[in-house]
Amino acid sequence: MDFALSEEQEMFRGYLRKYLDDAGQTKLAREYSKGKTNELKATLQGLSELGATGINIPEVYGGLELGTLDLVPVFEEMGRALLPGCYLETMGFAVPLIKKYGTKAQKEKYLPEIAAGTRSITLGVIEPKRDFSPYGIQCFAGKEGDDLVLTGTKTLVPDGDLADTYLLLVRTDEGDGQTGLSFVFVDHQDGAQLQLQKCIDESKHLVELSFDEIKIPNERLLGEEGQGWTILEDGLLYLNAALSSMMVGGMEKVVDMATEYAKIREQFGQPIGRFQAIKHRIVDMKLELETARSLSYYANWALESEEQEREATIYSARSFATNAFIEVASHNIQIHGGIGFSEEIDCHLFLKRARYYESYLGSVNYYNEQIASGLGW
Amino acid sequence: MDFTITKNEEAFRLELRSWLEENLPPGWLDGNKELPKEKEAYSQFLRDWQRKLYEGGWAAIAWPKEYGGRDATLMEEIIYHQEMVRIDAPPLINYIGIHMVGPTLIQSGTEEQKEKHIQKILTGEEVWCQGYSEPNAGSDLAAIQTNAVKEGDKWIINGQKVWTSFGQFADKCFLLARTSYDREKKHRGITAFLLDMHQPGVETKPIIQMDGKQEFNEVYLTDAIASDADIVGEVDKGWRVMIALMLHERTGIGAELFTLEKRFNDLVEMAKEHEVNGQPLLKDSFIRQKMAGLYARVRGSLLNYYRNLTITLKQGHPGAESSIDKLVVSELTKEMAAFAMSIQGHQGVLWKEDALIDTRWQENFLASFGQTIGGGTSEVQRNTIGERLLGLPKDLGR
Ligand SMILES: Cc1cc2nc3c(=O)[nH]c(=O)nc-3n(C[C@H](O)[C@H](O)[C@H](O)COP(=O)(O)OP(=O)(O)OC[C@H]3O[C@@H](n4cnc5c(N)ncnc54)[C@H](O)[C@@H]3O)c2cc1C
Repeated sequence: MDFALSEEQEMFRGYLRKYLDDAGQTKLAREYSKGKTNELKATLQGLSELGATGINIPEVYGGLELGTLDLVPVFEEMGRALLPGCYLETMGFAVPLIKKYGTKAQKEKYLPEIAAGTRSITLGVIEPKRDFSPYGIQCFAGKEGDDLVLTGTKTLVPDGDLADTYLLLVRTDEGDGQTGLSFVFVDHQDGAQLQLQKCIDESKHLVELSFDEIKIPNERLLGEEGQGWTILEDGLLYLNAALSSMMVGGMEKVVDMATEYAKIREQFGQPIGRFQAIKHRIVDMKLELETARSLSYYANWALESEEQEREATIYSARSFATNAFIEVASHNIQIHGGIGFSEEIDCHLFLKRARYYESYLGSVNYYNEQIASGLGW
Repeated sequence: MDFTITKNEEAFRLELRSWLEENLPPGWLDGNKELPKEKEAYSQFLRDWQRKLYEGGWAAIAWPKEYGGRDATLMEEIIYHQEMVRIDAPPLINYIGIHMVGPTLIQSGTEEQKEKHIQKILTGEEVWCQGYSEPNAGSDLAAIQTNAVKEGDKWIINGQKVWTSFGQFADKCFLLARTSYDREKKHRGITAFLLDMHQPGVETKPIIQMDGKQEFNEVYLTDAIASDADIVGEVDKGWRVMIALMLHERTGIGAELFTLEKRFNDLVEMAKEHEVNGQPLLKDSFIRQKMAGLYARVRGSLLNYYRNLTITLKQGHPGAESSIDKLVVSELTKEMAAFAMSIQGHQGVLWKEDALIDTRWQENFLASFGQTIGGGTSEVQRNTIGERLLGLPKDLGR
């Protein structure tokens, strides 16, 4: 029995923490929300030089060829810093899918640049005023000789302004069910219209991408035509394991903040952490954090295992961490009192991020249902 | 990260499993798990079971070989609990003796004490209880008032213990009594005695619990007698002995977690079989949502346990994080038991022979309330975690 990150993984976390401390932790997210990206880009490049963008990429494509568990420290540390960018979507979704479904040409085109930190990929699934289901996907890619002609709009595309490529779920065949859906790569240069959206989490730049008869070559299809929903479901296993780690990183910072504040803030002649209404709440936050952490470690381990309850395991991590993150981030504001309600302190940033993730590519109810069906209920 | 079980561990599991299959009480494997109702018969049944475990070498696997144990590794202990829970083995009547008093005597008892008790603890001839709580000392255990006064080489003990589990069967009691009083530090001046329960000065009265059972007791001590030779450790230094004793119970929480997991699986089966409005409960979307949430939390608490176990295996002693396990398992058990009741609808209030499905659900529900009180209340656990693990300021009065 060995249920822990390895010493190397913990050491790597140490480097990342130090690096992000030096970069000012949430300072980067705050600047990004004001539209400033210079320092952020330099930091992302620096992380790439530390190896963060090569972890799950094969050596032949310039990566480190490590396992999904090796990504965990990076996701956690990025979550802790609320670091902007589409690392989650790139490493936690695009890379595993390219490795699994991509053609040789696609691998050669994308993987080395991802590893080098010069290309990031974000994800476009949801469409304006439509839901997260096969019926919601109406963006159409019609065939025209060797090309696909793309028309439609994707919304809520995370940090689309930083991405070089968009991985889009589109309809390649008439109909409204799961059939006829496919994944395509669209590069920034292909000419999508980008419109920044206003999000309560201002350190997240969501964009609306519009395509008006944009031509892309047929080879941009990822995996088999018509298999888009199946590929999405596969990708969501990776994405949610990764996302739960990211949320754990955020939760850890939140619990640290609450604990530290409760030790130094004095009222009625004593630190507020002596009051059980505060102390016990922080303990409950800690329990949520540790349970989410255990579930997320196991989820990331399960990705590369023969675990029978793989889906239920991974979606448990997602579902639990989603609720837990919202809860601890909310309590953290209350524990800080007036200053917790101010813009100045980071409490609200974590709450907003937690809310942003609440229904990201599936609500808690959706994932609970996935757990149930994954267990054959 | 590695969840594989070693060949030795697997062999251990199979050996135990086949031993159990051959030695469980008659009919047990076929589902006849009824224990005798009447106290004497109940006690005898469970003592016989422990005797059998002893004879098979399975009574106290964690003990050193020279004392009749197996020198079991931590993983083997875990496997032992998993197997016992899996087969729903009869409870261990001498749990306190095997998991707490025995290891304490082996570690710090006198030769005479070992000679006198160890073998009998193993065989079940000596069933033990713990006498700590008193009417005026519960969470604040150091406030105990039961006192022991020395007369010659005898100690005369007077006072009252309460909520004493197993007291109705116990032959011996691991007792805390006050031998002196330190104004500043109440936990000084407490001494640990090995008290004989079969003497005129000890009177045990059962207390009826909210689940109708009589598993804990009042113990009245009126000029009860112990000798110098019955003191564990030093006079006035019993607090430390008690803390060490509790640390010996290193895998008890594991057993509770495996029980929780098993109950969850039973709950799933119940929700598959029981129909409401023409379809199994488990097809109802509200039930599915709740059950998926419980699945995640049961899984999460087991995984927490394995993570803490890993720390224990690596550093040789448990990390501070393991203080979380008891709080999580008791609270979750309670919540799950309540959920199992409510999904049975109004008929969920029926129990015993009138129970809608299986009266164990009603019993679990009622019993679960004891779990967040016994062994330190949830509030006290939260204080401990907050102060020891998170370094928050100490409670007033502590
Ligand atoms: C099933 C069961 C088996 C037991 N078996 C044994 C046994 O074998 N031997 C034995 O000695 N004892 C046993 N006990 C007793 C048990 O240890 C005590 O009940 C427990 O420690 C609480 O003490 P109390 O009952 O006096 O409650 P109190 O200490 O009076 O507590 C009452 C309430 O006040 C709260 N409270 C107390 N102090 C604080 C604080 N500092 N901060 C916040 N809240 C606080 C408690 O959490 C609780 O909610 C058993 C109890 C149960 C339920």
